[in-house]
Amino acid sequence: MSQNNPEIRLKLENITKEFPDRGGSGTVKAVNNISLDICAGEFLTLLGPSGCGKTTTLRLIAGFESPTTGRILLDNQDVTPQPPNKRDMALVFQNYALFPHMSVFDNIAYGLQTQRVKRQDIQRRVNEALLMMGLQGLGDRRPNQLSGGQQQRVALARSLVVEPRILLFDEPLSNLDAKLRVQMRGEIHRLQRRLRITSVYVTHDQIEAMALSDRIVVMNAGKIEQIGTPSDIYHRPATRFVADFIGRANFVDVTVLSESAAGVEVEIFKRRITVASSVRRDGAPLVAMLRSESLTLRHDPALPQVLVEQTMFLGSEVEYIVNTGSQQLVVVEQDPRGVHVVAEGETIGLDFVPEAVHLLPA
Amino acid sequence: MKRVVLILAFAFLALTLMPVLAQESTLTVLCTPQEDWCVAMTQAFEEQTGIDTNYVRLSSGESLARIRAAKDNPEFSVWWGGPADAFIAAKGEGLLDQYESPNAEAITPEYKDPDHYWTGVYVGALGFCSNLDVLEELGVEPPTSWDDLLAPELQGFVAMAHPATSGTAFTTFWTIVTLKADAMEAAEAGSGYDEEGAPTEDAVNAAFEYFAALNNNILQYTRSGSAPGTLAGQGEIGVAIIFSHDCVKLQQEGFEGILTTTFPEEGTGYEIGGMGIIANGPEPEAARLWYDWALTAAAQEIGPTVNSLQLPTNPDAAISELAVNLSEIKVVNYNFVAAGTNRTAIVERFDAEIASAPTE
Amino acid sequence: MQSLRRPQTFKRFASITQDPLLTLALVLVVLFVAITIVFPLLSMIGEGFSPKGLPLFQRYLSDPVHLSIVTNTLVMGALVGLFGTAVGFLFAFVQVRLNVPFKRFMHIVALIPVISPPFAVATAVIVLFGRSGSISRGIFGVRYDIYGLDGLTLVMSLSFFTVAYLNLSGMMRALDPALDEAATNLGANKWRIFRTVTLPMLLPGIASSFLLLFVEAVADLGNPLVLGGNYEVLSTRIYITVIGLYDTTGAAVLSLILLVPSLTVFIVQRYWISRTSVVSVTGKPSGTPQMMNHPLVRWPLFGLTIAICLLILLIYGTIIHGAFIRVPGVRYDFTLEHFDFVLNGIGAQAMQDTTLLSILATPLAGLIGMVIAYLVVRKTFAGRSLLDFSTMLGIAVPGTVIGIGYVLSFNHPTTLTLPVLGEVTLLPQLTGGRGLLGGALAIIVVFIIRSVPAALRSGTAALSQIDPAIEEASISLGADNARTFRRITLPLIRPAFLAGLIYAFARSMTTISAVVFLTTPQTKIMTQQILNEVEHGRYGNAFAYCVVLIVIVMVAISIMYVTVGSTTGAERRLEGGL
Repeated sequence: MSQNNPEIRLKLENITKEFPDRGGSGTVKAVNNISLDICAGEFLTLLGPSGCGKTTTLRLIAGFESPTTGRILLDNQDVTPQPPNKRDMALVFQNYALFPHMSVFDNIAYGLQTQRVKRQDIQRRVNEALLMMGLQGLGDRRPNQLSGGQQQRVALARSLVVEPRILLFDEPLSNLDAKLRVQMRGEIHRLQRRLRITSVYVTHDQIEAMALSDRIVVMNAGKIEQIGTPSDIYHRPATRFVADFIGRANFVDVTVLSESAAGVEVEIFKRRITVASSVRRDGAPLVAMLRSESLTLRHDPALPQVLVEQTMFLGSEVEYIVNTGSQQLVVVEQDPRGVHVVAEGETIGLDFVPEAVHLLPA
Repeated sequence: MKRVVLILAFAFLALTLMPVLAQESTLTVLCTPQEDWCVAMTQAFEEQTGIDTNYVRLSSGESLARIRAAKDNPEFSVWWGGPADAFIAAKGEGLLDQYESPNAEAITPEYKDPDHYWTGVYVGALGFCSNLDVLEELGVEPPTSWDDLLAPELQGFVAMAHPATSGTAFTTFWTIVTLKADAMEAAEAGSGYDEEGAPTEDAVNAAFEYFAALNNNILQYTRSGSAPGTLAGQGEIGVAIIFSHDCVKLQQEGFEGILTTTFPEEGTGYEIGGMGIIANGPEPEAARLWYDWALTAAAQEIGPTVNSLQLPTNPDAAISELAVNLSEIKVVNYNFVAAGTNRTAIVERFDAEIASAPTE
Repeated sequence: MQSLRRPQTFKRFASITQDPLLTLALVLVVLFVAITIVFPLLSMIGEGFSPKGLPLFQRYLSDPVHLSIVTNTLVMGALVGLFGTAVGFLFAFVQVRLNVPFKRFMHIVALIPVISPPFAVATAVIVLFGRSGSISRGIFGVRYDIYGLDGLTLVMSLSFFTVAYLNLSGMMRALDPALDEAATNLGANKWRIFRTVTLPMLLPGIASSFLLLFVEAVADLGNPLVLGGNYEVLSTRIYITVIGLYDTTGAAVLSLILLVPSLTVFIVQRYWISRTSVVSVTGKPSGTPQMMNHPLVRWPLFGLTIAICLLILLIYGTIIHGAFIRVPGVRYDFTLEHFDFVLNGIGAQAMQDTTLLSILATPLAGLIGMVIAYLVVRKTFAGRSLLDFSTMLGIAVPGTVIGIGYVLSFNHPTTLTLPVLGEVTLLPQLTGGRGLLGGALAIIVVFIIRSVPAALRSGTAALSQIDPAIEEASISLGADNARTFRRITLPLIRPAFLAGLIYAFARSMTTISAVVFLTTPQTKIMTQQILNEVEHGRYGNAFAYCVVLIVIVMVAISIMYVTVGSTTGAERRLEGGL
């Protein structure tokens, strides 16, 4: 978090949202007792697999759903009963939801017209928005005459131009092809850092989440698994779910040898290391998480030997599935020169970066 | 902006035109004869009296249903035209007001209700309306007897209306009943008519036998009384059993030289076109004015101007040369009261025994 | 294009009661539907099951005459369903799957029957194919008795097949050609593909067309009245029971008997067939349909279709020709007296009244249809499907039945006796000459309820093609529901709105069965006048009426195209992708 004295813009208090069951009899908790603070100027991402409740949470914030229980506070004001059009938030939709019967200009002007902004001001602000989004000259076009990236920019401009207190994104990049997605990701990042507009962003794409966010909220089954900075979430996942969902994680059983103030001493791959960990063992078994990129393969008989079962060349890196005899691990090696490829069926030594070991409750 | 203009234009249109629709006319006539006659009558009345007059044309059955349905708040003032049996029924149900018009005195007693609930405004006789071309092709002369209709050459070439829907057809049926009763009475007193002068059950049975035989020659039973005449005119059939004035009207309206009117020698039935004032109807004063006026010779001479050639009931009214004068043909002694009482039973029996029976 | 349907749960937003305007709209349409559709039906059911009506049930259902009428009705419905669907299928197949000339011509001819005034086709068919028909008698020298089941089947199939045609051609176009390609790839020949892939995929469409035509046929009054001969069906029997036997209770009982097959078929069509449909009409086809090019398939089908087209043109030509000659079928000298009768004479008032009432009813029907569609598709509230179903009853219930219901319900003021206030008038008398606005209001309302279902269906179809996110985007930008509906939803469903309007106007101008009992001295209806002229054999006048009616409808459609917008508008943009 960048600010020292963060001003809380949005507060979710014990929000639960129940939907009627498909069968019709019971209810399903799409969002289960969530509390969350979002600071002014912060870019917060709700991340999780589909069906985890992240989109519902976003729609609760926007007002398109009303919570079964709980409150939503915007700048300390309870907005729970307010309809979405009164909330001063703007939502950027997954498929842009541009008004197909209006020109780009009219699309962007729509929110300003609703606010009864003066005609000249609308003209000026829309033109500014067009300029800012690199859409100059396209004001007269219809949405269907634009490319996907341009459409997304119009959608963004349309939401930005009304200067909402919070900007909401519902998987805005998922409809773009891979290259464009990366480019738009950069643009959103640049824009948000410049305007410092409070944003809540929903995605299932962890890379996107990490690239854009000040903080990430990882959700699963309607609950929050972890809230933290991208680095926290990646390197120090709070739960096995978070570790598994983000990045490529290997879980290795460890034997706990001792515990001290310095950390926990464990034995892993026949090596004793001390891991600085906040995890309280309390007698329960622990498991070690090792990111694939912190494992390496080397021809060294001193190391534990593993069998390479599968080799996949991915361009910038090579992914191996190796067998230690007791479990399978995924190993990713950078290979800038393109010479160091281990063949399938080879036996090779396995090494790892001790600092990368992270302990989790098993 | 365009939309606002449209809405305003629409509202304006609605506001200016609704009153036209809602306009309350002073006198509302329920008119059963043909539309053009209704128009001519109401226009003439309006010109003569200055009373705003409107009409709706409904068949006699529908008229009765409408009057009955709106009994508590009648929409019509006076009912003009249509077979007398509907008026007899309406009188029986208390749907008509008594009115003794000074002009009704001139009308023969057999053409009006003794209790002054209704008065006849025209009379028409049943006849055979034949298509000359078709009959020539079939090698048949235009029929001059009810029995001529049973000729095997005419199989599928005769049409009449269905008694359930048409006063004409019921008149036809009752004419046969009367003829059968006359014949039985001539053979043996008391077998044709009962003590009250109504035809006996046997006479009715004999009539059903006749229609069962006729059914073999019938192409279809139409709903409207005058429709068989059109079928004849179009050459769909050879002979239509309709009111002679309807046949003459068709001849006047394009079928001259194609259609011809003949009458049965044994005697034919006739209808009285009735008129009555609706009980508790609006504008009773104007209704009486109409009533008086419609009985005048002048009013009864309007019909022929629109080819409605029914005979006037006012003896002073001029008779069109095209019209069929009842005095020149033989008519049966038609018992309207007995006809009215037996109607429902006969109609249902006809429906079950005759109309639904397959033709050979 | 992404899948536009989000999971059901995400469709709902802002509980409906949050927006007073939305609540008001909902209350208004619910009241409207309750009063104008549900209440008359309930009155009729009440009358049918009254002590007076119950014995009639027993009589009608045991008496062979009435039983044969019921059988006649069902047989006629089935035959019309069968032949109408067959003709519709033929036209659709030729249109979509055959590589033949004159397709545009065939398409336009297939659309002609949409604006057919009742009786017109039947009367023209009598003139052409009757016992003295210019074709049957004039050319072939046969005295053919067209009256009855055969004539009815011919006329109704030709009058109603357009629905089947549009339905099936839409489905055929939406069929994914990849399926055909897959089947071809697996070695099937074209006939085998047609039999094993195309036909089964279209089966729900075929069944649904059949059922729609069945409902339409059993409800029709005009054609059986003119062409039925001795073949009596329930609708004509109901008509006779009112106008011939003066018996509204009997008519109510017969109406209930007619209601059973109509409603059953409607419910089956709506809730069963539509669910089993496997064709996704919204999907973008991934290629062009494969053409059937075998000459033994192509040319016979082409010939048959052209023959039917010519028959339709012949019939409409007869109508137009008949309007200008002295006595159609008998005397062929040219005259304008029929038009004089319609335009300057007795017919003028009926023409003006009918047009005016239709003009008033049309936008209301379109708007009500769109509002109900919006509420039903986009909002969640208790009784949502009930509202949809009740609205659809406006067309599912045969017109004669609606008419009887109106006479029973609104021929007197509707009052309610309250404990304290005493008798309160809820509704003034609506029908009859003493009714509100001379009975005109009741007729407008009937026009509306007969047209709203079509507007509702096209609105529903259009709305479910539009991503709800587009409306949410508007709301999220600060617009309320009303503004969103006006600025976003309505423009986007404008083609559907236009289709609804056109249908409403054409329907209002040509309806007879529902309003035949509702005309009053102050309000005359053209179709009723046409019936009068037909029954009195003045075919020339009837044809002139029909020509005038067709012209009015065409002019109105052109005006609507100009004011509401053509098909080059929003929907093209929508089709172009979001």
